[in-house]
Amino acid sequence: MRLASDWIGADVSAVLQLKNVHRSYAGVPALAGIDATLPNDAYVSLLGPSGSGKTTLLRVIAGFEPADGGQILFAGRRIDGVPPHQRGIGFVFQNFALFPHLSVRQNIAFGLESRVVDPVTDVKIVAGRVRDMIALVGLAGLEDRAITQISGGQKQRVALARTLVTEPSMVLLDEPLGALDANLRTRMRGELRKIRERCGVTFLHVTGSETEALAMGDTVLVLDRGRIAQSADAGTLYSRPASPDVARFLNCFNIFSGELADDAFVSPVGRLALGDARQPSAKPAYAIRYDRVSIRPKDAAPAGDEVRIEGSFVASEYSGAAINSFFALDDGRVFEVETHLSHAAPENYEERGRYALVWKKEDSLVFA
Amino acid sequence: MTMAATSQDRPAEAAASQDGKRSDRTFWLLAPGVIWMLLFLVLPIAMMVYVSFWTQTTFKIEPTLTLKSWITFFSSDTYIGALWTTVRIWLIVLVATLVVGYPAALFVGLFVRNKTLSTALLVLCVIPFWTSFLIRVLAWRPMLGKEGAINMILMNLGIVDQPIEVLLFSELSVIIGMTQIYCVFMVGPIAFMLGRIDPSVLEAAQDLGAGFWRIFRTIILPLSMPGVVVGAIFVSVMVLGEFATAAALSGRKVNLLGNIIVTQVGSLKWAFAAVAGVVLTVLMGIVVAALLRVVDLRKEL
Repeated sequence: MRLASDWIGADVSAVLQLKNVHRSYAGVPALAGIDATLPNDAYVSLLGPSGSGKTTLLRVIAGFEPADGGQILFAGRRIDGVPPHQRGIGFVFQNFALFPHLSVRQNIAFGLESRVVDPVTDVKIVAGRVRDMIALVGLAGLEDRAITQISGGQKQRVALARTLVTEPSMVLLDEPLGALDANLRTRMRGELRKIRERCGVTFLHVTGSETEALAMGDTVLVLDRGRIAQSADAGTLYSRPASPDVARFLNCFNIFSGELADDAFVSPVGRLALGDARQPSAKPAYAIRYDRVSIRPKDAAPAGDEVRIEGSFVASEYSGAAINSFFALDDGRVFEVETHLSHAAPENYEERGRYALVWKKEDSLVFA
Repeated sequence: MTMAATSQDRPAEAAASQDGKRSDRTFWLLAPGVIWMLLFLVLPIAMMVYVSFWTQTTFKIEPTLTLKSWITFFSSDTYIGALWTTVRIWLIVLVATLVVGYPAALFVGLFVRNKTLSTALLVLCVIPFWTSFLIRVLAWRPMLGKEGAINMILMNLGIVDQPIEVLLFSELSVIIGMTQIYCVFMVGPIAFMLGRIDPSVLEAAQDLGAGFWRIFRTIILPLSMPGVVVGAIFVSVMVLGEFATAAALSGRKVNLLGNIIVTQVGSLKWAFAAVAGVVLTVLMGIVVAALLRVVDLRKEL
């Protein structure tokens, strides 16, 4: 499998290359040496907790803020120092930032008519391209509406159309679904991917939601404390996070700290048997996915290849297709188990009752 | 079914009648304002219109209706001249406050992104108002006079040989004085509107490839127009009603409608003063109505 991180170096299939990009505010580093390569014609999602520097990175790429150090190569050309209006990179703002006094059509036409580089002065050409773009994003019939008269999802489409009509080689989206309600958010995910496929440009989609990042991105970049912690496709990222911190953002692993001792991992809840999966990491940790654990009665004996710990049931959370149960371990930490209801009907667990929590040792992931 | 329907209707009805009562009660909140305005604005204006048709003799005024004062006003070169002077000075001061005020507002409202700092800068604009109007106006005399500060500096620098006399006691000095005094009323509303522009809207325009002048013309200027209109209304209403600046800085060479009213009232020519008052009020009404046509303020604010 070819990961985005393999592409470091001058590569024709790369649209954007970041080399050791730094940015700090009043001495506090927001970006501490970003190295990344974004492939051409791909959907890349950038996942990071709040404060990880993801908006800063986007603003530096777009040129709204200067980088303190490092290089930014866009389509093979260095663009650090080039003003935003000459970069040819589209930006979709979290709050859409539409021009409030212009109609839908005028908003979309703005870039074509107003750009310094190669403006389109022929009214007919502008009208034609705006019409095509309106059809592409599905806004037909709303051309003459004022921005105040359309819904959130429609504003999102206008913001996207306004950027795409200028034919950028890359579009940066800053939490584009953050301002929409949950229902619309799910629908727009599919829309965004479809629109991108039709245009064939690279989208860099910033989000704080791990489900969104995994669902949207052909490649997912994980940003942690101003560095790229991992760059991988969604499947690899989900099953083999590169570090305990990445595993923690994904919000689907129980993580134990401790130490590796010969054939087992010594954690505060006891010795845990190891599988084959290892990730090199400075901080040793043992991780097991929520959905790989099964809950058994306390006295059920584990099979030979299984790891068993005990916990007392605290609460469970029903989310339609799955149910998440929370157990308190002996050292006080909370252990989460996700049970898919297609496999079994939900069981009722006794509050504060003791249960065995069991998983196959092959399913565990060890960082050491 | 019926039972359910009625029991559902009842709270709705109760709520509706409560709403009715509440709007009856809230209506009374308007009462003090309405009474005040009726007694001290509408009634005096009606009175002014009425008095303008009274018969004026040298020493007294009688409530016998006549058009004489109106005819005299519109056939006198002095009064018509005052009307045109008022209109001319109003237009010049309006343009001057806009030319001086808009860039300042642009700086305070758009380029100073620190809210505290921009508020502090606006407060700086208001500092001249901490002294009385008369002192502010009269302070221009030692500045603009024949041996005033500006002439002294120009002569010492060798830019002029003779003091520039037109600086004081001329229309120019009235315009300089009024622009300085009323400029802040232009800066305030414009800076407020500019401050409300979302910075990401301007970044979006930049990102779409537009340069500064294009962004200014197509985004910033249209979005600040409500501020310009409100500022223009403030300045217009105040300049049109002016008399003190003209009296203090023109040496009685510039007569505005306001000065005419003051003189006529001073010599107890009430009917005449009333005619000038009605003309001035109508003029202001036309100006404000025209300015409101430029931008739909209800939509924009």
